[in-house]
Amino acid sequence: MLSAMDSNQKRFVEDALDLLNELDEGLLQLEANPQASAPLEQVFRTMHTIKGGANMFGFENIGELAHQLETLYDLVRQGNMQVSDGLISITLHAFDKVRDLLQEKDASKIANAESLKDHLKIAVQFLKSVETESVSSASNGSNSAITKDELATFFIRVSPTISMTPDGNHPLVFIIQDLEALGTAKTLCYKREDATVIHWDIFLSTTTAQPEIESYFLFVENECKVEYNKLLACDLFGADEFKQFIDQFETTPVSTEALQAIVKKLAATVENKTAHEEEAESSATGKKKFNDTYIKVSKRKIDDLLNWISELIILQAQLVNATSHINSVEITEVTEQLEMITSRLRDTSLEIGLVPIETLVTKFKRLVRDLSKTLNKKVNFLSEGAETEMDKDVIELMAEPMIHIIRNCIDHGIESPADRKTLGKSEHGTVKLKAFNSSSYVNIIISDDGKGINRESVLKKAIERGLVAADAVLTEEETLNLIFHPGLSTASAVSDVSGRGVGMDVVKQKINDLRGYVSIKSMPGKGTSIHIKLPLSRSIIEGLLVKVEETRYVVPLNVIDRIDRIAYDTLIRDNHVNKTVVVNEETLPVFSLRKKFHNETAAPKTTDIISVTVNGIKKGIAVDRIEGKMQTVMKPLGDVYQHQDFIAGSTILGDGSLALVLDPARLFQLSEN
Amino acid sequence: MKKTILVVDDFASIRDFVCETLQRKGYETLGASNGNEAFKVLTEKNESINLVLTDYNMPDCTGFELLKKIKENPAVSKVPVVFLTTESNPDKMRSAKEAGLSAWIKKPYRSETFFAQIENAISNG
Repeated sequence: MLSAMDSNQKRFVEDALDLLNELDEGLLQLEANPQASAPLEQVFRTMHTIKGGANMFGFENIGELAHQLETLYDLVRQGNMQVSDGLISITLHAFDKVRDLLQEKDASKIANAESLKDHLKIAVQFLKSVETESVSSASNGSNSAITKDELATFFIRVSPTISMTPDGNHPLVFIIQDLEALGTAKTLCYKREDATVIHWDIFLSTTTAQPEIESYFLFVENECKVEYNKLLACDLFGADEFKQFIDQFETTPVSTEALQAIVKKLAATVENKTAHEEEAESSATGKKKFNDTYIKVSKRKIDDLLNWISELIILQAQLVNATSHINSVEITEVTEQLEMITSRLRDTSLEIGLVPIETLVTKFKRLVRDLSKTLNKKVNFLSEGAETEMDKDVIELMAEPMIHIIRNCIDHGIESPADRKTLGKSEHGTVKLKAFNSSSYVNIIISDDGKGINRESVLKKAIERGLVAADAVLTEEETLNLIFHPGLSTASAVSDVSGRGVGMDVVKQKINDLRGYVSIKSMPGKGTSIHIKLPLSRSIIEGLLVKVEETRYVVPLNVIDRIDRIAYDTLIRDNHVNKTVVVNEETLPVFSLRKKFHNETAAPKTTDIISVTVNGIKKGIAVDRIEGKMQTVMKPLGDVYQHQDFIAGSTILGDGSLALVLDPARLFQLSEN
Repeated sequence: MKKTILVVDDFASIRDFVCETLQRKGYETLGASNGNEAFKVLTEKNESINLVLTDYNMPDCTGFELLKKIKENPAVSKVPVVFLTTESNPDKMRSAKEAGLSAWIKKPYRSETFFAQIENAISNG
């Protein structure tokens, strides 16, 4: 294939790019309205056209991808499958890749690009999972449309009823050549003395089903007679014996009896093998079904379920409490079992509400594309970890803040293509979204490779507006954190895109409301990255119940490293924060709850130090006594306590009393101020 | 006299490509971007058109609808119709044949097959 694109290919690429835009639009409409037939038809047709064009102009890889996806949408058209977010997003992703690929100037690079293979694999997988699903729901009887292509070897005898020569110009000659291209084939041609064809004997091993093979001869039905004989559901060319058998018929016509005999013989050996393979395959697909079948459940039902489970958890705690004085092995056994089962139930129920953040990623892709166009910037959007799961509510609540951050990246971060060029950067800026889990948090990092945040101008503005004192000395982090201050926007001109609607202060507020954290890093000239950390679950947490004076607190278990008991006197008398308490042979800054909130009564002899790691920094919390581990349902505290943000919420204990759930990170912030 | 083929495809680059391929083989070509347009061209110039080569999946009026329109109209029903398409559903092929289709060429095609089918359709109707 020529490397440079010929004029036809160029024109195809131009047309295809237009079509891809139409396809996007159709897909987005379909996503918004999955039952509508007009966008579905448009999507199907557009894909079909792309497939046809791609195949025609030598881009078979694009054609194949389009074909796989088209097959999926055909299932939707036939009512065998529903439009799902998953389907839409694999399609968008796949064609985004095609779009990227078509920017390439070199035709052979497009045709040989490996980058579509992953998407092809995903599409094939998706089809497989749909097929398994529909097989598992075979009772509805509508799955006949999905016939699995299986490999088979055919013996096809084509006898022309009109006179033709094997090198002639009759379509039949070419149809036979086309047929051979469907798989591994061996064609034997028997001629009369005048070189006209008596018949062609074709051995063909292919995954093409017989009805499709028959369709090849549909338009030459009057000019020939075709006999089909499906020999065996496998590739007989794999058997040497079969190849030798065929070779002996180069000159004499194939004897059907001898053929039957050898097929029978080969069938016996092959069957053994396929039985094993099938077994392996069915167990593999069985597993797959387990992973990949989905049902749609109303959100309300899940919320109800979570509510009841949270009640159950409280009750279970009460039961443990109520039976603690009864010295009975049976009761202890039952309560222990119950505890284990409630905790499993809690974990499972939490997972139900989790969905991959992929939907957000798709949304952001559009946003980046549209925005970069409006702002005349060139921006690539990369995402990593789109399969990371998060509470659906949290995803919805986070959409707007994250959109705001991405807007800022493009509007204020990424430079114009010309500027980037002068700076020696590539014209295309990059906005990257990375999501991953760590302990019971979901981490989302949004970064760009733009110009970074100008710390001086942030500081100058903050001083101008009286947010910080003119002579204040701020650390890098503190300066950057100023952008989260209400009413501080670094853009000198409010553009259409950002600087309106929600500001970074609102972003931070929303993340706080979710008990999450946000931090920011920025390198002048290199870019900015914003790290958001959100708790996996909004309401159920595992914690350590501790007591200070008569008040009970809960410290989330996920941040705790270890617990040590030291003499209370080790803590310096009047300070609630001691920077250098030696715990486990290390110095640790310790925050004493007693000294801060309960300093009036007589001090105990010892104090328990809970070592926690928050945002990578080790600190200690000093409490009077540790009461035990518990899982607990967090209830909001209500408006009165809104500003006490070091308390994340409250919880009801087994004995009906109240405990306050601490937010360690905010507790330490409090201690620093 | 040169034979004229009406090429119908909504995708301009394919239509142009097919037209150029046919022209190189010595055919005259006309183009239309959907079934309705094609039918209009055909009824206006029916004397000079020897073959309609059309895509299957098109907006507004599909290739199949165009085929039926042509075969139901005595003025133009003699003009052979050939589908050039990626569609390969045997049921669709059979109903198209019953509706009077002359040949079904699958995209991507090999040029020998392509010209053999077209030549055959023009001479045998």
